[in-house]
Amino acid sequence: MRLDGKTIAGAAAAVAFLSVQFAAPWASSAAEPPAPSIALFTNLPVVARPPAQQPATGLPADTHLDKTPPRQTVGLDLVRNGWTYNCMECHKLIPARWHYDRPLNEHQNIRLEHGNNRFCLNCHHPSDRNAFVDYDGTAISQSDVVLLCGKCHGTIYRDWEAGAHGRQNGYWNPLMGARTKLRCIQCHDPHRPQFQPMKPLPPPKYPPRAAHPPAARDGAGPVTMPHE
Amino acid sequence: MTAMNHDPQNETGPRALEPVYEPWTRRSFLKGAAVGLAGAAGVAAALHPLLALEEGEVALADLLQKHYRQLTPEDLRRIMDSLEAQCEREHGVRPAIRDPRPLDGVEFGYALNLARCIGCRRCVEACRQENNPSRDDEDDIEMAYIRVLEMNQGAINLETSNVYYDAETVPREGKYYMPAQCHQCRQAPCTKVCPVRATWQEPDGLVVIDYNWCIGCRYCMAACPYDARRFNYRKPAIPPDAINPDQSYLSNRIRPKGVVDKCTFCLHRTRAGKYPACLEVCPTGARVFGNLRDPGSEIRYVLEHKRVYILKEEVGTAPRFYYFFDR
Repeated sequence: MRLDGKTIAGAAAAVAFLSVQFAAPWASSAAEPPAPSIALFTNLPVVARPPAQQPATGLPADTHLDKTPPRQTVGLDLVRNGWTYNCMECHKLIPARWHYDRPLNEHQNIRLEHGNNRFCLNCHHPSDRNAFVDYDGTAISQSDVVLLCGKCHGTIYRDWEAGAHGRQNGYWNPLMGARTKLRCIQCHDPHRPQFQPMKPLPPPKYPPRAAHPPAARDGAGPVTMPHE
Repeated sequence: MTAMNHDPQNETGPRALEPVYEPWTRRSFLKGAAVGLAGAAGVAAALHPLLALEEGEVALADLLQKHYRQLTPEDLRRIMDSLEAQCEREHGVRPAIRDPRPLDGVEFGYALNLARCIGCRRCVEACRQENNPSRDDEDDIEMAYIRVLEMNQGAINLETSNVYYDAETVPREGKYYMPAQCHQCRQAPCTKVCPVRATWQEPDGLVVIDYNWCIGCRYCMAACPYDARRFNYRKPAIPPDAINPDQSYLSNRIRPKGVVDKCTFCLHRTRAGKYPACLEVCPTGARVFGNLRDPGSEIRYVLEHKRVYILKEEVGTAPRFYYFFDR
């Protein structure tokens, strides 16, 4: 437990480094100046693989629209101090267990708030940690994560297949161009799948010469549509 | 003559018949001068387009332009070239104005999942970036086509809705959010009231406006039950780097002053097969768009499998925009 501080700091730095290294392709709009703490890590080797192999969203002609997926996916790999670790590098040494009687040293950043789904091995494969597990014990590869979620969320998987759940980008008409679908984990954190609240963009300007400015912005005073 | 005799105001009778010498008084001079000035101003105003014509700002052909649906393709191309040149002159950016026509066998439909929408207004911003409405003007009213209504949970009550909500995070407790934009009605009241037929419904269901034909009477705004139309009280103020150069004649080209505009489901995108801008950015995936005539499309899936709600169904507009509830 004494390693907590270091572990968290290391993980945070790794995540920060990662976001700086890989934010550019899909989050060009969020160009933040690198924080001083991140500058410490700039001389470290670049991680060979991007955090997740995700389909390109956005077409070159639409640079004015921000089509960033709501969530930056991080694959199963553990990234620490700029190095990527394959899951099995550690897990081949550590046997899989259903219950953990002590807090984990690794994966402290994971908050498992997935309803009744409280066990790592419900989703993660017990012997192949680079994959997920199906009901019959066979492995589901990382790229087929949608099938893993579909194990329980069948109706939503059906809607997603039909295009009624989740965002699609590109062309509505398949004859005229390609379409990309966001996969489950590009919007939902698998460990904490509820869609997180966001800051809304600023409200419309109240008409400058209108008689009654809104009494309260918090919705206490009713403001109606003009024709209502 | 007899009328004159019966006039109780005119007691002098015969005197009115004689030619009367009226010297120039100060009053009559000022009166005449005022009338004369007003007349001159009126003539000048009436001639203003011609003066603009002389200065090369407006082509004679634009002034005498026919209705969009009477234009030959060559005429339309020439007009669009002229509009491109005008935009370059006024805003410093030369757009590419096209005129995409409706696709065969396509009728657009839009559905929005009210259970998913969190009211983040990303769609409003995308609409603004796509459709070139007026911006950055302190005195401007809001010109984006989408309004997100914050509603109290438990009912669909527009009277207690709030468009001007602002919060640290959305969704807020006890609220849900309903973005409203043009519903592209099958029985569109706006097209029926237009005195000059500047707005009409295209074969793919989109209600469009010929901005060059619109006279700005705003009857359509009064007729619309969804508050979907916006009036350009002034010349749109857009910084050059915010102009979307991919424009079309009927949708997002920069509007002149004094005309009405509205959402066209981004027809310059959707008629090229792409999704509308508001759908492309929706972080929750609440928006579903597609071809109503294609049985395999996702919009048809929603209409056939979900609980679909039509806003103000009782007014009989038969919209092509649907709301649905689905967890």
